[in-house]
Amino acid sequence: MTTSEAALEGKRRTAVGEGVRIFKMAAWLGWQAESNWTDPWLFVIYSVIKPVAGTLILVLMFAVAGRGSAPELFWASYVGNAFYIYVGQLLWGISWVVLGDREHFQTLKYMYIVSPSMGWYLVGRAAAKFFVATIAVLIVLGFGAWALGIPVTVRGVDWALFWPVFLLGIVSTAALGILLAGVSLISSNHGAMAAESLSGALYLLAGVVFPVDVLPGWLQPVSLALPHTYWMEAVRRAVLGHGISPMLQQVSEGQILLILALTTAGMVLAGGGFYRWAETLARRRGLIDQVTWN
Amino acid sequence: MSTSETRFQVDHRPRPAGLAIRTENLSRVFQVRRSRKWPRGRRVVALDGVNLEVAEGELFGLLGPNGAGKTTLIKILSTLLLPTSGRAFVSGIDVARDPFGVKQRINIVSGGESGGYGILSVRESLWMFSQLYGVSNRIALDRIDRMLKLVGLEDDAGTLISKLSTGMRQKMNFVRGFLSDPDVLFLDEPTLGLDVTTARTLRKFVREWMAERPGRTVLLTTHYMAEADELCDRVAIIDRGRILACDTPASLKRQIARQAVLRLEVSSSDGAGLSQADLARLKDQPGVREVAARWRPEAGRTVLTAILEADGAIPGLVGGLSGLGLVVHSLAKEEPTLEDVFVKLVGRTLAEDTPTNNGDHDSRNGTLPGDGPEVGVGGAGDGEAAAGGGAADESAAR
Amino acid sequence: MKAPPGSPARAWWDWKYVRWLLELNLRAVRARAYVRVVATGREIMWLLWEVLLPFMATAAYVFIYRALNAPPAYLGFVILGGAMTAFWMNVLWAMASQFYWERYSGQLELFFASPASLMAILLGMSAGGMFMTSVRAIGVLVLGSMVFRVEYAVAHPWLLAYTFLVTLWALYGLGMLLASVFLLYGREAWHTSNLLQEPVYLVSGFYFPVRALGFWVAAGATVIPLTLGLDAMRQLAFGGSPWAIAPDAVGLFPPGYEATALTGMAVLFIGAAYKALGRMMWAAKVAGTLALKH
Repeated sequence: MTTSEAALEGKRRTAVGEGVRIFKMAAWLGWQAESNWTDPWLFVIYSVIKPVAGTLILVLMFAVAGRGSAPELFWASYVGNAFYIYVGQLLWGISWVVLGDREHFQTLKYMYIVSPSMGWYLVGRAAAKFFVATIAVLIVLGFGAWALGIPVTVRGVDWALFWPVFLLGIVSTAALGILLAGVSLISSNHGAMAAESLSGALYLLAGVVFPVDVLPGWLQPVSLALPHTYWMEAVRRAVLGHGISPMLQQVSEGQILLILALTTAGMVLAGGGFYRWAETLARRRGLIDQVTWN
Repeated sequence: MSTSETRFQVDHRPRPAGLAIRTENLSRVFQVRRSRKWPRGRRVVALDGVNLEVAEGELFGLLGPNGAGKTTLIKILSTLLLPTSGRAFVSGIDVARDPFGVKQRINIVSGGESGGYGILSVRESLWMFSQLYGVSNRIALDRIDRMLKLVGLEDDAGTLISKLSTGMRQKMNFVRGFLSDPDVLFLDEPTLGLDVTTARTLRKFVREWMAERPGRTVLLTTHYMAEADELCDRVAIIDRGRILACDTPASLKRQIARQAVLRLEVSSSDGAGLSQADLARLKDQPGVREVAARWRPEAGRTVLTAILEADGAIPGLVGGLSGLGLVVHSLAKEEPTLEDVFVKLVGRTLAEDTPTNNGDHDSRNGTLPGDGPEVGVGGAGDGEAAAGGGAADESAAR
Repeated sequence: MKAPPGSPARAWWDWKYVRWLLELNLRAVRARAYVRVVATGREIMWLLWEVLLPFMATAAYVFIYRALNAPPAYLGFVILGGAMTAFWMNVLWAMASQFYWERYSGQLELFFASPASLMAILLGMSAGGMFMTSVRAIGVLVLGSMVFRVEYAVAHPWLLAYTFLVTLWALYGLGMLLASVFLLYGREAWHTSNLLQEPVYLVSGFYFPVRALGFWVAAGATVIPLTLGLDAMRQLAFGGSPWAIAPDAVGLFPPGYEATALTGMAVLFIGAAYKALGRMMWAAKVAGTLALKH
């Protein structure tokens, strides 16, 4: 290694170390701000009340209109809905960092200056949300197994399939969150709407609570291009032993994993690329410290 | 400018003729929350029996360091805060009993204010605020255009607030205060953080506005001595919630006219500043009334302000300095300033209590934003409460 | 400090004074509403966040019912619910927790020091929010009805229109009340808004007829104006008559009664907001907590 290469390597290592430091600080900050378990009130709001209420909406919908349907459909919808908590929390967690820090606390510019890459900071803030979401998912699944007879057991889960699928799903969601953060960076404050709207749209397109087969034909290709569609399907297979979509039934677990990996890679490239472009645009137009709330 | 549209005269209660502001034994105590240092919480006296009278048409200055109680007084007078005891009247109206009556007659501008919805343009934002005072569209837009021109913002009338620089935003907020054509205007550190030209423009603007219609009253708080000296008809010096003196700047300065005001620059061989004990020893010298110190880290020297009973005390003071092992680099006898009045009354300089951003503001020399090369770019805004002088005392003399 | 809140009696019999007062506050309402209307409309991105993506989220619930072969009217129920979701979001995020941000930015002090009533500011925020959110709601309603070919059977259009309007007034009255109560709150207001999101979607029956919760739970949920409003509008939009509960036990109460109750709620909430605002303002002036920063 030449001297200049060694210096470069040293710099890179320093940047990674700095990034990890920012990640830790951001995770702590996110924890303090929104997720602190030591505050029982916050724990109850974010890990119990909100997710359980969201789940009960689905339960009620099946109760009023799904009397004649097969229980497998309900179980699959329930599990999809439970894991979708990650999507809502992470999208919100990452994109709101940009808006909240920029508009209200007006600290985004400082974070931008001290961070070697804002990605570390954004993902760090979302880490706290990830932990809250994990608790919420476990509570919702536990509630389903205990009160609604959903056949979810620790022994019944195909862990070999579950872990890689779970990891890829989280990565693709975080990448989408980064993309959304890029959108937030160059647009006005639409408050809670951006994350809420995008996660709502994904709820439709990824077939979280119904088979993608019922989507109109022209919408199905969009659905099949998204990692979240495969994530939901694979998670159901790992947890329940079956999926929800007749169309995707023909795809083996290995194939699903491969497609999920490829679409996740695409999402990471798209999210990261878009965010960089948005960041450059924001710097060019001086948007990093703009305040647009109303 | 029409004055009738932003207020409705239905108040027939007797009011003291010619007084825009009057306070009677006004006090305000804040209860500070419990903390590790103060497990039972604590009471902080922000205002302590303030009696003040400001005549209609007067430009009245309130001069004091951070935490002196200036902002607290303005908040009470502008109905944002209730006094703990005592009474306050604006245009003869009791601020506690009839806040609505007061609000029709006042407006307020705080330095460093960054309010405003970023998505609105300057013109739109100002129009919005004018509507909260019931100003008709035509008059409001006329005034906005005219005032933006006066402060040099006419080209940015259509710019979104989110795109404005800090100074431009502050200018805009400054204009906001005048849009309702108030009878009484509270300017709380209005030039805080502004550059030389802008600060000068705003001071000129205030003078012209006052001259435009007799009866307009301004209460200005500042810790820039020269700003108060230049602008104000009368000045009250406030410290730790109490009014220590109140008179015209000239009269205040005359209080120490017969005394000698010395400015000395000293340093020690070890490069350290003066301790409190050193200062006490200097004050004990015969004929020395008051000594205050300010450390200049960039020069490694201490600037001393000494008020002496007569010139004859100078040799004693210099001897005292030598006795402390200090080298005198310069010595000048100067005309007294408001700062010297403050030193005499309080026993320390304003700068000791007023941290500045770049440390080059020297209110003692009479410089202020807009007056010369030594630009005061201000420090933190006036604190909510007089928090005592603990921290200040520690840094008073090094 | 013992003096009661409010200013001394004035010349209420003096028409000139009343007219002046009215004009002052109407100007304030218009000015504050203007901020919201202009701010939202100034950027084309809002069409994406506020219309297209929320429509997709609503569509997800429609597809659940499709997958369950639910009666066609249920699709209409969901679309109506999805449209009204926008108003609840707006009330939570742009009304209830708004004063926290106004206070944080120092704006609240400026409002407070002006002669215009803070109620006028709240009304302006409501009117602006209501107008812009109506665009989203109508967008979702029209798109949803067209895409899913929902057939409405409106026998009493005037009552339906009145119910919609009075629901909004009661809802925004509640928003004003929450904003007033949260005047001195900080992050707690934010968390409470979060708390009220999904649970209200559930108990107000945004995606299913509220009757499915059982009569007493549904009756308890009528404290949220949207519960009654949605129930009445659903009945009136699908052939219901004013003074009888819609067939198939879909409705909770006859829509005429519900509209009457909503009228009462609108008056009650706005009155309560006025009272609460007065008390909180007084408390803020005593404690000196109108500003967070200064």
